[in-house]
Amino acid sequence: MKIAEYILIVEDDDWLAAHHERILTGAGYVVNSVPHAIAAIESIDVHRPDVLIADVFLAGPNAFTLLHELQSHSDFADIPVILCTNIAHDIAGEDIALYGIRRVLDKTTMQPQDLIAAVRSVNL
Amino acid sequence: MKGSVFGVTNDSKRLNFSVISPTIAAAHELKAPLALIRQLSLYLESDNVSHGERERLLQQITLTSERGLRLTNDLSRTARLDDSLFSMEPLNPIQICEGVVEELSPLFMAKHSTLSVAQKRTSPTVVGNRQLLHRVLSNFADNALHYSESTRPVQFQVSSSQAGATVRLAVRDYGPAVPLDIWKRVYQNLGHASQTLQSRPQSSGLGLYVAGEFARVMRGQIGAIRHKDGATFYIDLAASTQLRLL
Repeated sequence: MKIAEYILIVEDDDWLAAHHERILTGAGYVVNSVPHAIAAIESIDVHRPDVLIADVFLAGPNAFTLLHELQSHSDFADIPVILCTNIAHDIAGEDIALYGIRRVLDKTTMQPQDLIAAVRSVNL
Repeated sequence: MKGSVFGVTNDSKRLNFSVISPTIAAAHELKAPLALIRQLSLYLESDNVSHGERERLLQQITLTSERGLRLTNDLSRTARLDDSLFSMEPLNPIQICEGVVEELSPLFMAKHSTLSVAQKRTSPTVVGNRQLLHRVLSNFADNALHYSESTRPVQFQVSSSQAGATVRLAVRDYGPAVPLDIWKRVYQNLGHASQTLQSRPQSSGLGLYVAGEFARVMRGQIGAIRHKDGATFYIDLAASTQLRLL
């Protein structure tokens, strides 16, 4: 039996985080969410996610600090990352390549099922 | 990764959000509640939502839209500040804090957090405008709610300076420390039009800009103190001498 993929969400809005959890859990994924980058690092240390979904602006260090940290560790650098943000249009292509970002979802235009599609596309 | 040092960089070098105009800040700040309302509404359209879940989501939509409306009301008020006359009167700061607690309690409860006033037997009165002071404190509390971890309460504190000339109304929150480089920019720009987008979660600093504008009209000053586990935002206002003369 295939073990369900584990997804970590880093989102400071707990209502939006719960919403994303509902959608992904409904699609059969095991999901956990944390509100900031420091909690994400602690969580990743305990349980390496198959996919990381992160908002950009977080309490304390932002998502790019988190991704920079992940990139500096060989065992975490290849975790597929999906950014889910209100500033999708402002993220440069060079950043996507630098930080291992596979998909960028625009919170203002995305549909709920886009989240599932994005996870499937980065975790084939 | 334990023990690794955070803060190598807190900015993507290509993301230049350090200083933004009030218009962009307003647009960004309103995106978050609107995007959330949209997401929750889309989910409500699906068939697999239980009655209890529907009720909870509807409450979240209501509270989120109210938060957005408070912000737009404040913004329009800042645009009219110089043309308007705001009556200044002696105010009981505890009473104003309690009014904010009453207004924001549903939001705090829905977020599994609490907002309270640190009770004092006596409180010096301040000179200010009731409506504007209420909005300043409401912005501070809203900022704290979205920054604090839900298990930590948010509290209003009222204190007077040693000389008794000014009274400080403060809101303490608890969360991960803001990196020093960002904090310096936040503090430098506190209450001015230009703010860092990364200053606080879900925030472009617009609420603090609004608070700074309202404080200016009341001849007060806002400020902030960085803690290792959060921050305190405050407004200093002149103490009323009215009671002392009696």
